[in-house]
Amino acid sequence: MSHIHLPDGVLPVWLWASGLIATILIGTVLFRFIKKEEVTRRLPLLGMMAAAMILAASVEIVPIAYHINLTVISGILLGPSLIFLATLVTNVILALFGHGGITVLGLNTLTLSIEGILGYYLFRLFWKLFNRITPAVFLATFLALLISTFSMIGVVSLGTSHYEELIHQESQQGIFEFKLLKEKDDQHKKEAEKSEVNLKRFIAIVLPLGFIGWILEGVITTFIARYIQRLRPDLLRLERGSS
Amino acid sequence: MIQLSYLDYSAVEGKSWLHRGSPAMKMIGMGVVLFCIVTLANIPGLLLLYVILLGLFFLSRVPLKLFSLTLYPLIFAVLFVFLSGFRIYFILLIFLKVLCGSTGVILLLATTPYPLVFRVLGKFLPSLFLTALFLTYRSVFILLNVLEETEHAIHLRGGLQWRHPWRSLKNISNAFGHLIIKGIDNSEKMYEAMMLRGFKDKIHYRGE
Repeated sequence: MSHIHLPDGVLPVWLWASGLIATILIGTVLFRFIKKEEVTRRLPLLGMMAAAMILAASVEIVPIAYHINLTVISGILLGPSLIFLATLVTNVILALFGHGGITVLGLNTLTLSIEGILGYYLFRLFWKLFNRITPAVFLATFLALLISTFSMIGVVSLGTSHYEELIHQESQQGIFEFKLLKEKDDQHKKEAEKSEVNLKRFIAIVLPLGFIGWILEGVITTFIARYIQRLRPDLLRLERGSS
Repeated sequence: MIQLSYLDYSAVEGKSWLHRGSPAMKMIGMGVVLFCIVTLANIPGLLLLYVILLGLFFLSRVPLKLFSLTLYPLIFAVLFVFLSGFRIYFILLIFLKVLCGSTGVILLLATTPYPLVFRVLGKFLPSLFLTALFLTYRSVFILLNVLEETEHAIHLRGGLQWRHPWRSLKNISNAFGHLIIKGIDNSEKMYEAMMLRGFKDKIHYRGE
């Protein structure tokens, strides 16, 4: 749900361009700090986890327009720096199949990596608190998805004025504007109210559907983590005894 | 995603004039399509672009089976219909932008083998990122094979049944867990094989 499934050309240029610039900057800073040998050694693992995220994203739960991301489990396995590169690669390949626009790559990467990075830190925190894999993974996944969905809504709401322009394009075409200033002000106020209503409607659709998705993904991620803990506990790099 | 291998097959085996075209030119063409999608905000313009892309799609004899891939993003576009207050103009605009974008990229990948796409990208992207992109693309195929095997295992364990959602959820999760562990095992083997063959941070593409 955190993935912005907006096509190219819907978000204002300043917004998607800022997303791309921020992604490039964060990526550059991250790679300055990670050891090159460490990245090279873990590149195949990164590729596999990114591929798993791509496969998961292709399993669409049509009635709620939701697909699982596996970003949190990837974040837990890869760590906060590599998950950023993994989400970038995932988004590039998904965009090549029309899954989200190419220009919104930066924004998609930012929101998805928020999910992965938060998932990693929340999992470590809840593990310390509960020392049990089930509540730690479920809560980390649920909260990470919740926060990243709100960040997605934030991004969508930043483009509201641009959507209004697109919506009213039709009515503006070929119509001369002979309006008094006051009328114009009223019009602006009405439009602002209308856009607020539309955004509320969008949120009212996204949040309940998202809620079902967060629960589903939380349960699936927990089962996956338990499966991994049974077979390859070393991958989870847990400090204390397993439960 | 299962159609990914079919997309690859179409790119390698296709013989149309678009398949024989220069990958760099096709990518520039994709850039032009993107520019049009971003700048065009009227339905006739976008409709014309979509008709041109459809024309190219059928002229280059890309298998019809792949056409469904271009329609897939519409599932998500439906969510944004709620933003517009169901204005037909906005809905058409969004849908056309989605269709133009997805048809453009599917057309590019169905007529250009991926090593050629990566070779062009390698001219302006960092080698580390390109290697990650290449390994991910290869890993998708490896995981698809594992997934095929796993599907049989899930089927033997009761498969997916709407009557037993909890069991189905557990089966799906175990399948993904199996996929991840198998994938990690394969990635370790792949890394060892790459090191033995002299891998040093960069994959070189011959292009053919």
